[in-house]
Amino acid sequence: MKLTTRALVTAFAASALLAPFSMPVHAAPADRYLHVRVEDGTDGSDVNVNIPLSMAEKIPPAIHNGQLSEGRVAISGKDLNDVDIQTILKAIHDAPDNEFVSIKQADQDVRVLKSNGNILVKIRDSRGKEADKVDVTIPLSVADALFSTYHQNQLDVAAALRALDQAGQTLAITVEEASQHVRVWVDEKNSQ
Amino acid sequence: MALLGKIALYTAGTFVVAGAILCSEGFVHVDVRETRPETHHIFVVAPAMLVPICLHFVPAEKLQDASQRLRPWMPAIRAATESLEEQSDMTIVEVSEPGQHVAVKKEGWSIVVDVMDSGDVVHVSVPVRAIAGTLEEISSSQPEGQS
Repeated sequence: MKLTTRALVTAFAASALLAPFSMPVHAAPADRYLHVRVEDGTDGSDVNVNIPLSMAEKIPPAIHNGQLSEGRVAISGKDLNDVDIQTILKAIHDAPDNEFVSIKQADQDVRVLKSNGNILVKIRDSRGKEADKVDVTIPLSVADALFSTYHQNQLDVAAALRALDQAGQTLAITVEEASQHVRVWVDEKNSQ
Repeated sequence: MALLGKIALYTAGTFVVAGAILCSEGFVHVDVRETRPETHHIFVVAPAMLVPICLHFVPAEKLQDASQRLRPWMPAIRAATESLEEQSDMTIVEVSEPGQHVAVKKEGWSIVVDVMDSGDVVHVSVPVRAIAGTLEEISSSQPEGQS
């Protein structure tokens, strides 16, 4: 009986000591990377930039220089012709997925849509020799964060980067000109 | 004889400890191979800790301009280098042109810059901590009498 008690106490102590190691460990969220790729067909150059978002988030709040302070860029209300961006963003939030703007001209086509919590801007321009194509997908949460301090005449870059980190793989900017291709996107790979 | 042995032991110990401290921050590698117009090969490996130490001996007046320009950016540089140390190995910037290639990578605890230009090759590897320490040293440099 005494031996059984001792065995139980030992087993209890051992399980208490080992408990922290046997608990399921929650994996840290994977870091996301902001990628920029610029390909220039005229000289065959190719520029690739990969920046961890966790690192990018920490840098703007540390800069206090010129118009950038505390991760916010000072802007003039005149920069956007006194347009109330926050009211527009709220209206977009409240609206169902839809195409808000559609401008069709003989050689230019501009469309602004809302789809799955993202703002999409699509521009097609065929005025030059070859058609130019611009596609932008921005999560609404990122736009909200960026313009959250708009009434203080500031753009909150740090908050936008934080929102981008949490938004998943949604940001994408693609610009295709005759000889130059620019692509900006976010994913969990640290290389292109 | 025993006294000489003790002195030798203490001296050797001091050198070993000093060497270990000096090498604790890793090494700076510089490897330059030029093929034009003549073939040159420069290869330097030095303890990274030597860089900020050597900066102590540079007259503060010579660093004053760099120090003033650098100071406002130090919080951002600190944030970047601290965060960089936590990152896994990766290529941060890569630029390719016909005949030219530049890559800035994070490898281990170091930032590595590889440049290849028409057969000439430059490879520089500097520990992140050494970069931070060097920039701290430059930014804090002030001529005597100034606060």
